[in-house]
This record gives sequence, C-alpha cells and structure tokens, in this order.
Amino acid sequence: MSTPDVDVVVVGAGPAGSCAAIVAARAGLSVVLLERGPFPGSKNMYGGVVYPRILDGLIPNWWEEAPIQRWVTRRSTMLLTDTQALTVDFRSEAWGQPPYNGATAFRPDWDHWLASHAEAAGAQLLTDTTVVGLLRDAGGAVTGVRTDRPDGDLTARVVIACDGVNSFLAKEAGLYEHTDAKHFTLGVKETLALPKEVIDERFAVRERHGVDIEILGGTGKVNGGGFLYTGLDTLAVGVVLKLPKLAAQQQRPEQIIAGLKQHPAIAPLVQGAELKEYSAHLIPEAGLTMMPKMTMPGMLVAGDAAALCLAAGIWLEGVNFAMASGMYAAEAAVEAVQKGDTSATGLAGYQRRLSDTFVLKDHRKLRRAPELVLSDRVQHLYPTMVANVVERMFHVDNPNPKPGVRRILDQERRKAGVRRRDLLRDGWTGFRSFG
Amino acid sequence: MSIVACLKWVSHPGEPHDERFAGMSPADQSALEFALRQAALLGTGVTAITVGPSGADKVLRDALACGATRAIRIEAPTTAAGTDVATAIADHIADAEWVWCGDYSLDRGAGSVPAFIAAHLGAEQALGVIHVDLEADGVRATRRLDGGRRELLGVRSPAVVSVEGATARLRRAGLQSLRTAADTVIEVVPATTPIHRAEFMVRPYRPRARELPAPAGDSPLDRLRLLTDAAAASAARGEMVTLEPADAAARIVQVLTDWGYLPHG
Ligand SMILES: Cc1cc2nc3c(=O)[nH]c(=O)nc-3n(C[C@H](O)[C@H](O)[C@H](O)COP(=O)(O)OP(=O)(O)OC[C@H]3O[C@@H](n4cnc5c(N)ncnc54)[C@H](O)[C@@H]3O)c2cc1C
Repeated sequence: MSTPDVDVVVVGAGPAGSCAAIVAARAGLSVVLLERGPFPGSKNMYGGVVYPRILDGLIPNWWEEAPIQRWVTRRSTMLLTDTQALTVDFRSEAWGQPPYNGATAFRPDWDHWLASHAEAAGAQLLTDTTVVGLLRDAGGAVTGVRTDRPDGDLTARVVIACDGVNSFLAKEAGLYEHTDAKHFTLGVKETLALPKEVIDERFAVRERHGVDIEILGGTGKVNGGGFLYTGLDTLAVGVVLKLPKLAAQQQRPEQIIAGLKQHPAIAPLVQGAELKEYSAHLIPEAGLTMMPKMTMPGMLVAGDAAALCLAAGIWLEGVNFAMASGMYAAEAAVEAVQKGDTSATGLAGYQRRLSDTFVLKDHRKLRRAPELVLSDRVQHLYPTMVANVVERMFHVDNPNPKPGVRRILDQERRKAGVRRRDLLRDGWTGFRSFG
Repeated sequence: MSIVACLKWVSHPGEPHDERFAGMSPADQSALEFALRQAALLGTGVTAITVGPSGADKVLRDALACGATRAIRIEAPTTAAGTDVATAIADHIADAEWVWCGDYSLDRGAGSVPAFIAAHLGAEQALGVIHVDLEADGVRATRRLDGGRRELLGVRSPAVVSVEGATARLRRAGLQSLRTAADTVIEVVPATTPIHRAEFMVRPYRPRARELPAPAGDSPLDRLRLLTDAAAASAARGEMVTLEPADAAARIVQVLTDWGYLPHG
C-alpha cells in the first residue's frame, strides 16, 4: 500500500472534530481537519449551554480564553400546562467562579475557538470542503475520504468521522444497523436580542451570570420540550420536537415556538425582544437504542455522528459528549498509528475509553430516560396532574380546611386518567434513570 | 509576460466587523479567474497582490490554491486610501503587462483603484468590463455604457482590465493545491510610499428624493400608471452631442438639473 497523504483525517470541525484534531496533532501525527462550512461553526447550531469540564486537561484554564457569553449560575426546570407553570429553580454562586460549571456560548464562536487550537497544535484546517464519500481498500477498510473539490481524494491511516447527526459517513460504512425517524428530534431555536440590563433584571442575574431553563410541556400536542437560555444580550428560546409526532400533527415548528413564547410564564421574559436568527437541526435523541458501531478498520465515529448526544429531559448535553468522544477517538487513533495497526482491533481503545468514562456510563444509566421523557403520559398527562396538585396545595379555600396531599394526588391522578400502575411503573423507571 | 491579479480583502457587508466572513469580492474573483485563464493561454504564471494587514493573506492563499504562482502582500492598514493603494501596487508591479482587477470592491465600491494603477503604469485601461475574450495577442473586452449600450475594446498590453463580478466564476481550488497553498510563503513587503487611511466612505450615488404631486387617475391602476410612467412615453430622450469637455460637463449638469436630480441654481 502506498504511503497515505496524512496520518489522520478528521471530518467535521464541530466540537468532536476539533477536539480529535487537537489530540492527534499534539501527539505528533499529521492531521487534516475538513469542514464544509466557510469557517468552523458557521453552519452549526444548538441550544446554547456548554459544560466544558472535559477540557480541563486539553486546554488548561480554558475559561480565561473561551468565547463565553455568560456563566450559568441558575438552573431551572419548568413544567408547563396551558395556563400553569411549576418551576424548580436552583442557583449557585460557585458556578460563577473558576473553574465554573456550565456556560452559554455561540457555536460560531465556540467551534471557531476550538478549531484554532487544533490549528495551533499543527492540524491543517481546510474549510469549504465537503466530504462526499469514503475511500476503501479491497478488504473494505477505510483508507481515506473523497471531497467535493477537484483532485479531492485524501488518504489517511485513520479517518475520524465527526460529521454530526445523521452521519453520511457512518451510514455509508454500514455502521448504523437501522435508522428510524422516531430516534430523532428536531430542535428549533430563535435567537432574540434584548439589552443586557433588561436580561439581567428579568432573569435576576448580574455581570456575566446567566440562566438555563429546561422546559417540559409547552409544545402543545407534539411531544418534546423547550429551553430558554441567556446570552449576554440575547436569549435563546427553542423547542425540541419528536419527529413522527410533528409530522402527524402537521404543525410548523415555528408555530410551536410562537406558542411557547406566548405562555404566561415565558411571555414576560421575552417581551419586546427582537428576532435575530431562526435555526433548526436534528438531534440524535434515542441514546443507546440508536448508537452505531463506532469502530471499523481505518475509521472511528465520534460525537453526534455516533449518536452520543445525551438528550434526557432535564439534560440536553451534546457538546461535552462530542468533545470527549472526539478526544478519545483521537487517543485511540494515535495508539493505533503508533503501533502500525489501524484494524478494528488496533482501534479498540476507543470503545474501551467510551465505556470507562461518563460518555457511555451516563448513556447506560439514562438509557430509558429519552423514551420516558417523550412518552405520551409524561408529555400530556403528568404535567397537568402535577400542576393541579400543586395548585390545589397552595390554593386557600377557606372556610374549607387544607386537603391532604395524598388525597389531592389521587383525585388528580384519576381526573387526568392516569392509571396507578402506569404511574408507579414510570416513577420506577424515572427513579432508576435519574436516581 | 507577467500577469497580475489585484485582490482586496473585504469584510462581508452583512458582518462588517467579523473577519471570519471576510474574503475576496465577487469582482476580484472574476479578475483572478481571467488572470488564470490568460496565464494558461500564454503559458505563464499569475502574481496575486493585495494591500492590507496580515488577515489579507487569506485572499492570497485562496488565489494560490486556485493556481496563482506568486503572492505579494503590501503591508497596510485595512482602510487604506484608494490612491495610495494604487500607488503601492503600481510601484511593485512596474513591469506587469496585464493587470486584472475587480471593478469595485464590496465594501467601498468607488472603482477608482484600477484607473489609478493604469495611470501610474502608463498602461491602457478597460474598466467595468462585462465580457472578456482572451486572445494570444490581447484582450477583447465589452464595457457597459449608459442606456444599455455596449462598447467593444481591443486591448493591448500593458493594460489594466477591471471586470464586473458576474463576468466569470472563479474555479474551485483543488484539494492538494489548497493544502500546498496553506504552506506557501507569502512575500510581505512594505509600501514604497506612505499609505494613509481612507478619510471618507464612498457610497453609490443616491439621487435626492423629489416631491411629486399626487397622481390624478380615476382608478388605482391609472394612478399607478401615472406614478410609474409605465404607459407614457419616456420624457428623457437620449441625445448624442459632440462638445468640448467643459461644455459637455455643463450640459450634463444642465440636463440633470432639468430632470430634478440636481437643485436649480
Ligand atoms: C436545538 C438543539 C439544541 C441543543 N442544545 C444543546 C445544548 O444546549 N448543550 C449541548 O451540549 N448540546 C446541545 N445540543 C446538541 C449539540 O449541538 C450536539 O450534540 C453537538 O453539536 C455535537 O457535536 P459534533 O461535533 O458531534 O457535531 P456537530 O456540532 O454537528 O458538527 C459537525 C461538523 O461537521 C461538519 N460536517 C458535516 N458533514 C460534513 C461533511 N460531509 N464534510 C465536511 N464537514 C462536514 C459540519 O459542518 C459541522 O461543523 C443541541 C442540539 C440541537 C439541535
């Protein structure tokens, strides 16, 4: 076999790809990072909150240079019915100081910043270049990629596919056994502009502190959830919608966001804001249920391309899973290249690293969560039931005495049409997932 | 035979403060494409030249990836004055035979740099060209004139040709040349004369608003016709006159005044 053009080709300069390129290039391998957009992040969107703890080893004191909008010091989980809202709100000053926890950031800034570290490490970033296929040898091993440029083949010892959700490369390689629309949700988001002082006042934060609100309910008949995050002088408000339900309801996603923005608990927060951007993207929602094989001779798959995004109701974390899996893929690639064995066995270190770390541990722990959170009962029956229970608990109905919570719960359960058996079963599943 | 493409690193009009969106104007892309085609025809290379700060290397690397053989950046601030830019370029390409420019850049768009370069070089000029035929011994260029007319020019070297953006589509750089271009050394040279910042922004001409009487037609359609002159014979007639330059200028001012574009007096 002739000498490949480079040691490692990384496809996609999102969080997974750039982290993979940083690790491989720092280990002294020749690395090309291919990105279809005009610059890293230019085509990318997400809700808006990153949890970059995983970068501590890769970019020490990353918080001093990362393009952060605000540090998340308030996390709320909101349960909405048409007219009610129940919020669990937590705030911690510790999250507003180094080493921080979560932060809001714009993807064009975040991805561009990470990719600049990959370039500084020696990776060659080529933008405006789309990978259109894989190069394979007679035995089926991946030997490189074909791009849309003239003279566009690039051979490599290892290809790391970080091309995001619905990965054409993983599909072309036959790594997904089956894909099904029900495994995906559609995320849509509006970026709204408001002056910083107004955001500070409405969300009760100061300086660079910010808020992450995850919302259950508020998406009408379409199963899903919502979110509202604070940027410095912008808000990100969006919904995540189960695809088959969205199609069945024949609703436009922007109508659903409009509905959410009109909810009495949300409207005062977004009032008067100017729409700056509307964006949409798929989310691989089903976790372990949909994950492909992640290793094959000559190729590894990381990030959303490997369905590693964690979408489990109160947690929507994809960027940290992408960055970590990109790093682990590159570590395995480095090992394999150094040993001169890029077969599936040579690359097996990747799967091991995923299994030994939060990437697959969290997915295993929360494997039932996505289905539970998007189930009809959790979406359409429980919010009303819970909100009614709370409303009755706090409703002062003198001269009647206060009713007992157990009685209210039972009455509201029956009124909502929830069978005790289902409630117990879902409670047990929830406890096993989140507990 | 030396062929030069003058390229400006401009910010994107929608994102004026974000360098990530900056690059070559469409007109400069056309210019580079013609330079490359001409070089292939004549069996020579293309020198890409820009005046600007280090960020401007991007357009030179893009040019190298597309096939330019040499890249020169004259160190200057982002908003250099057009006359100084032209002087700086002309000083570095004194022996150029063909100089290709975009007719105007996306950001300031006065289109004056090519004319100044031609003046400095004492070269022929064909500016604002919309069609180019490359020939072994020259260029046949079509220029846009007022009133939909066209002017056909036979251009001989040394010459400066500036082309409109839609004249040619810049070829897509090959993957290997893109990789090589990233490592090619760009010659960074100081300007031979001081380069000043542009003092004012040149904008496209916008005639001042004129007050018109309300249209008097019976139906909305009639009023619309009156407003838009859609049905009426055009009041403005084309007229061919032969005058001395000073008289011609006075005549143009007079006509523009009659048509309401310039104030009376
Ligand atoms: C609405 C929404 C909200 C979300 N909210 C959050 C959140 O708040 N926090 C969080 O952590 N995660 C969130 N996520 C998930 C998160 O965005 C993803 O998990 C994460 O971006 C995955 O990173 P990645 O690098 O694997 O893929 P991507 O970010 O999708 O990057 C893939 C890259 O590959 C490039 N590419 C694709 N195909 C090709 C090709 N053929 N050739 C060359 N380049 C190619 C793309 O242009 C892109 O740059 C959200 C997602 C959505 C849709």
